[in-house]
Amino acid sequence: MRTVRLYVRLLGAHVRSLLEYESDFWIMMAATVVMQVVNVVFLAAIFAKVPHINGWSFWAVVAMFAMVAIAEGVGSLFFEGMWNLAWQINQGDLDYMMVRPYPVVLQVSSMQIGVNGLSNIVTGGLMLGFALANLAVDWSAGRIAAGVVVLLSAIAIKVAINLATNSVSFWMQSPSPLFAFAVHQVGDLARFPLSIYPLALKAALGFALPFAFVSFFPVSFLLGGGTAWVGLLTPLVAAYCLAVAWFVFSRGLRRYESAGN
Amino acid sequence: MALVEARELTKVFRRPDKDPGMRGAIKHLFVRRFVDKTAVDHVDLSIEAGEAVAYVGPNGAGKSTTVKLLSGILVPTSGEVRIDGLSPQRDRMAVSHRIGVLFGQRTQLWWDLPVSESLAVLRDVYGIDHGTYRRRMARFEDVLELGEVLPVLGRKLSLGQRMRADLAAALLHDPPVVYLDEPTIGLDLAVKDRVREFFRTVRDEGTTVMLTSHDLGDIEGFCRRLVIIDEGRIIFDGDLEAVKDAFARERILNVQTETAAALDDVRAALPGAQVTAGDTPLQFSVRFDRFTMTAGHVVTALAPLANLVDFGVDEPSIEDVIRRVYSGELVLTP
Amino acid sequence: MKPYLAHARAAALSALAYRANFLLSLGGVAFQLIALLAVWRVLLTGGQVGGFDWPQMRAYLVVGFASATLVGTFVDFRMSHRIRSGLVALDLVKPVDYQRARFAETAGGVWIEVVAVVAVVAVTVAVGGALRTPSGPMLALFAASMVLLVPLKFAVSYLSTLACFWTENFVGVLWARQALTSLLSGALVPLAFFPGWLATAAQWSPFAGLTSTPALIFIGRASGTHALLLVAAQLGWVLAMWFGARLLFRRGLRRLTVNGG
Repeated sequence: MRTVRLYVRLLGAHVRSLLEYESDFWIMMAATVVMQVVNVVFLAAIFAKVPHINGWSFWAVVAMFAMVAIAEGVGSLFFEGMWNLAWQINQGDLDYMMVRPYPVVLQVSSMQIGVNGLSNIVTGGLMLGFALANLAVDWSAGRIAAGVVVLLSAIAIKVAINLATNSVSFWMQSPSPLFAFAVHQVGDLARFPLSIYPLALKAALGFALPFAFVSFFPVSFLLGGGTAWVGLLTPLVAAYCLAVAWFVFSRGLRRYESAGN
Repeated sequence: MALVEARELTKVFRRPDKDPGMRGAIKHLFVRRFVDKTAVDHVDLSIEAGEAVAYVGPNGAGKSTTVKLLSGILVPTSGEVRIDGLSPQRDRMAVSHRIGVLFGQRTQLWWDLPVSESLAVLRDVYGIDHGTYRRRMARFEDVLELGEVLPVLGRKLSLGQRMRADLAAALLHDPPVVYLDEPTIGLDLAVKDRVREFFRTVRDEGTTVMLTSHDLGDIEGFCRRLVIIDEGRIIFDGDLEAVKDAFARERILNVQTETAAALDDVRAALPGAQVTAGDTPLQFSVRFDRFTMTAGHVVTALAPLANLVDFGVDEPSIEDVIRRVYSGELVLTP
Repeated sequence: MKPYLAHARAAALSALAYRANFLLSLGGVAFQLIALLAVWRVLLTGGQVGGFDWPQMRAYLVVGFASATLVGTFVDFRMSHRIRSGLVALDLVKPVDYQRARFAETAGGVWIEVVAVVAVVAVTVAVGGALRTPSGPMLALFAASMVLLVPLKFAVSYLSTLACFWTENFVGVLWARQALTSLLSGALVPLAFFPGWLATAAQWSPFAGLTSTPALIFIGRASGTHALLLVAAQLGWVLAMWFGARLLFRRGLRRLTVNGG
């Protein structure tokens, strides 16, 4: 509990400096909204010509896009510091973090707030809301509860993948996390229904980098149907991803060489 | 067991071995060669509670690397570290409450927060209660004049302000062991003096301090124990005064006279000493070994030969001694 | 000319220094190409959508990949940093024209991207068969369009980076640029899928030259006078933006000196 309270404290310390640059705040918000609008326009343009992609309707795909937006939003708003890890390793900035009585990984991830996360969560939430309203979901108390768990797990998966891929920076010399960016881009593929991909990609997105559990499986779980049960595995996948991310980070930290040698 | 204990501590860095220029870069693509650089080489060190130790050596000797190994930032290639019996690498949380670290070249303050806020965040990280925090801040206010610095944003601090704030940050949780790595680097003289004064208070309160510096002015009057490291190896570990006694045996007596003295007569009267003429005919100086003669002896011998107006004795500083050790002129064996 | 060659050479060299990261980020983009191919293959199994058949769309996406990979250097990142920190003032002391020097750096990094594009296209052809190439004159026009892509893409990113004179926040600007560019250039979906007014507007905007123009010429959907006009528009935008950027740079600089950097 103290860990969580302290996390909020560390993150909260940056709120004031964030508000110092008000115009920046609005630029980030606007940029993120533009990105999501572009996504919806793109989908609308395609679905204006075809009714379904492999049986998935416009709104189902919007829901998948929304899930990615929400997961990314949470990642930016609460764990943006992970994206600075490469820079901090390169500059030797972890030195002081390693002599403080708080987990280094949490000090790293709380070093920054990505305000764009806020607009991603809001626009993603709106998209998901509209999508669910337009989809025939068979709501029941159990489904709602399971839905919430699956949603939270999906977010955890995205954050864990961010951590694991950014931790790769311990093995690289570059000051920017290009590997993590590359994987992040791969994650964008999971916004489409997994079923359209060839087998190798299905395997990649389902197992190796389980982005499919961020969007496709959770949404298909809510919509019901043939493979809906796979969505229920999301919490397990989340636990697995978090464990792997923690392992990679810890191993990386042992390799940390500080700077100036 | 000593409070800080290092046994056979070794750190080897692996660096890519690249020829310069485009050709070297392309070559490295295909042939990946690496060179090992041993930054710290089988260092044994033990520091008792309450002890103050100066850890000196030329740039790149392995001073900072040792400190990073002792504080758990780096994992040793081989060897072991124990702080109060705990490994700083394995028991990071427990050890972090016991150590305070200052790297002079680097700040731990948040660049976008005022100093007061940075310190308040650290207070919460270390779980210091508000009463204790206020007491310690009052003390920092006294010795470091921290008040004027508190409202300033981290990125807007001058170097002197930054160092004072960082000292407060490193000592906020009142750690029993403190590593100060180049704590006066780049500071102007006035700030340096104040910071040095602060070390002395910390030491006098019984804190175990390891001071790393290449500025030997930090050491004089600070500690009794001196450890010298060069090329990753400890070449001396012993009493600071003993070093001075053993190697700073030379004294210089500078003399001013009323009328010009005959230097040849002086030389004849003081066999074993070196007499050199000064800038004016009315000045000269005598170099002697303080183990074979005393300053009083020299003055007595001079009295019948010259009308002394004034004289003074130059003692070589520890700085000179260590400089000569670095340059290989002196070989120390503890 | 000599100092600019030096800039280009330095950029060419540093492109190599971070080759591992370059390859990884390229991997991300290439992966995306494969996935987009998968999406459209599913959509086009039934025949045509929006007037595109599968071979056409495949060629379109390959050209789109090439144009997305080229000129992806990080000149803009460094430039934004130097503007925000005021270090740009130091660059101006050097006896080189700022804009030309940045262009030289951008152009210097292109070679490694060309190598990468050739490799990826070769793999694509090996896996999925040859691409239909246009007839002689149109092929020449396509080549011209690809060459114009370099200064055009530079101009777009240079112009948007100049926004850093007015805002601290480069990332927001970058994201907005990337989002708008991917939509209006036809990189996400061919412009023909848009409603008529938007398609026309985008077609004559500077963004079309970044993907749509070379891709449409390559697959033969733009030919004859129409194609010639599209390439002329590319050239026109290059010139307009090149000189527009000079104007904007001067104004930005004035702002910098007024505010004291």
